[in-house]
Amino acid sequence: MLFPTIDFAIFFVLAFALAWALSPFPAPWKLSLLGLSYFFYGWWDPKFVLLIVAETALAHVGARLMHRSEDPKHRKAILIGTIAVLLGILGYFKYAGFLTVNIDNLARSLGLGNLLPLIQPTLPVAISFFTFMAISYVIDIYHRQLEPATPLDLAVYLAFFPHLVAGPIVRGGELLPQIRTRRDARHIDYSRAGQLILRGMFKKVVVSSYLASHIVDPVFTSPKSHSALDALFAAWGYAVQIYCDFSGYTDIAIGLALLLGIRFPVNFDQPYRAVNLQDFWRRWHITLSRWLRDYLYIPLGGNRGSESFVARNILITMILGGLWHGANWTFLIWGGLHGVGQVVGHIRRTRRAAAGIIEPEPTRWRHILSVFWTFQFVCLAWIFFRATSVHNAFAVVSQIFTGWSVTSTLISPLMILTIASVIALQQLPARLGDRLVVEISNTRLWIQVGVGALLLLAITTLGPTGVAPFIYYRF
Amino acid sequence: MSELPPGEDLADEGLPPTPEERSSHPSMHWQQGRRTLSWIRVLALMVSILAVWLVLDSSTLLHNAEVSPVGTRRSLSLALLRPLASFANVVQITELEKGANRALGRNAEGAPQGHVLKTAGPTVSTLPKHHTPGVTTTTIDPLKGASPTSPARILLVGDSLGLDLGGSLQNALASTGIVAATLDGKESTGLTRPDYYSWPAELNTDLAALHPQVVVVMMGANDPQDFPGPPDVPFGIPAWTTEYQKRCEDFMRLATSQGAKLIWVSLPAMQDPALNARIAVVNQLQKQASSSVPGVIYLDAGTVLGGTTSPYSAFVTQGGQNVNVRTPDGIHVTPQGGDLLAHYVMSQLRSHYGIPLP
Repeated sequence: MLFPTIDFAIFFVLAFALAWALSPFPAPWKLSLLGLSYFFYGWWDPKFVLLIVAETALAHVGARLMHRSEDPKHRKAILIGTIAVLLGILGYFKYAGFLTVNIDNLARSLGLGNLLPLIQPTLPVAISFFTFMAISYVIDIYHRQLEPATPLDLAVYLAFFPHLVAGPIVRGGELLPQIRTRRDARHIDYSRAGQLILRGMFKKVVVSSYLASHIVDPVFTSPKSHSALDALFAAWGYAVQIYCDFSGYTDIAIGLALLLGIRFPVNFDQPYRAVNLQDFWRRWHITLSRWLRDYLYIPLGGNRGSESFVARNILITMILGGLWHGANWTFLIWGGLHGVGQVVGHIRRTRRAAAGIIEPEPTRWRHILSVFWTFQFVCLAWIFFRATSVHNAFAVVSQIFTGWSVTSTLISPLMILTIASVIALQQLPARLGDRLVVEISNTRLWIQVGVGALLLLAITTLGPTGVAPFIYYRF
Repeated sequence: MSELPPGEDLADEGLPPTPEERSSHPSMHWQQGRRTLSWIRVLALMVSILAVWLVLDSSTLLHNAEVSPVGTRRSLSLALLRPLASFANVVQITELEKGANRALGRNAEGAPQGHVLKTAGPTVSTLPKHHTPGVTTTTIDPLKGASPTSPARILLVGDSLGLDLGGSLQNALASTGIVAATLDGKESTGLTRPDYYSWPAELNTDLAALHPQVVVVMMGANDPQDFPGPPDVPFGIPAWTTEYQKRCEDFMRLATSQGAKLIWVSLPAMQDPALNARIAVVNQLQKQASSSVPGVIYLDAGTVLGGTTSPYSAFVTQGGQNVNVRTPDGIHVTPQGGDLLAHYVMSQLRSHYGIPLP
């Protein structure tokens, strides 16, 4: 079930009551959370609950075997085996169809006939997320950064429903201690949670849906039918759409977890105020980028080596990070663009540092230009992320540069205001609305009920009928 | 105020500051002055907010329940929402929401009155001055004589499958430079539930605004559901099939009422056998309707994507290469599949109507 629906609201109210009623009793509390999480996940397709149970069991067995062994080679073999199976499961569901079609087509081109059976497995919701969490768990066990969890704790960690569908990708060291510790049922930070949930719903239900239906989907569906200005606004609009969609979901997830007494890490930090791509990846999908940094980039060697060595590591990390999002050449290109951009940035920084050039404090205009050009590059890459094919992406890109003879049919003042507002707000301090939340939380409860209900009404009224799935829940 | 670095959680320990803490650390009031409550009070707060919202939004929620598929969920929702909506109407607390809906261009219950997804092809700035709908005053067939200065006007309508076809078709037609193709599609719609979305009303609007010369329709995937009553008319019984075919015929007559030609594209096979059987019924009724209305060409999407009487396949072979034409949900069509279907439709536009498409 999707977050901003009545079904989920009913589910969560019941889950909240059950979880807190049982919170004085650790084992029943954990079992209730697990049952609720499996119920939530099984709502899409009950049989996929078996998948997450299987990955939990696999991670648990791998962790226990590694923990008991003192032989480094044996431990490494277990780690590699466990990761290989986890990635194999992910690879089958996510990439088997893509690979078999492309390999078979290559074979046909070479006159080798049909090599492989064509398959199209149904992609289980959230598989990329919980698989990455399972992998981070076993790696942390291998490095002895974590003690193995009990099967129940591990199951709750992987399946906890607020983060299950689309992150954040929480580390074992962040969530397992909270699962083991009793929460304070007397002091729930409900107003902060409410702020996050309502803000997230507004971003997703109102802003993201509006831009998708009014500019992004029409242009990407039929690029040649629209003007260069429409195509340009579609690119900018998609940047805002995906930010509002994904960060909106994350806000709701963090808020829901907070209501249950669990704290999640921040996943977005005003990404469109980044001054370069390295800065962007410190602000966008933070939990994924730190996963890629700690479990892929650094093991590859990180930035300890020659220019070409570091460039290789950056490119591999970003391309695989792109492919994590889906089995399509467009995601590979998206990751590759970010990789190339970061390589260029890295080379420039290291050469200037090697030459003894001290970077001056950027002037205001230099800062604005850095933010502007970083945003334009990110938008260019987003075109590939959104496009349905490489051909579709190039059609949109080419329309931006060649479609100036066609008049714009989609842009409106409200659309311009929406896109500009979201980008402008990111240039302001992050916690701008916090004082208001403090004031509201200190008013009488009946006032808070009225404010909450009116805000909810505003969101459901301004949003479209029906709820579109979150973009990232497909990954 | 200092920024928290990424990775730091945003919530404090949940304990509000003492007055001494507040006065000695003014910034704490900003970040950590939020009141906290016990779980029972938070639960009461949540339930109260949802209850108040339910009453305030009851008219929209009631409408949404009424237009939802017939079944237990709908019945339960109506049983809950009708009394709430009545109460809300009596005390007139829904006026705020109704006014907002009207300001947003919707009816009072929040249902869109216009299309949600509509894209326009290359602009036909004005119709020819001598144009009278349904009457051609030149001796040259406007479709056969389509050109960049006098493009053929083609309207594409449908549900989500219609959008899968329509997007590719509009793009391909726009590339020719001699067609102004307009796409009007909406997910989750069809002919069975005009209370949710009225395609006849929408088509009327499109015909009056665009005066298309050809209409291409692909819809029906959402139609295998009961007609709501009372009494409800279950899908597939004779009363249902008679009524549905009539609706198809009426829609086809409407589409051709101003002289436009009509191409009706059937639905492809579905992966789920039960759904496939239901779609086969819809296809048969649509085909029968098309044979009773003059000027309608019925195209079988199964020719390209596999029909409901053939085994389902997500792949077809084209030019010696495998093409993935269906999405993993087993229902919709991929962009590549849409392209193949679009080319098939274009070949029919060429052969039946003589439009000089490349």
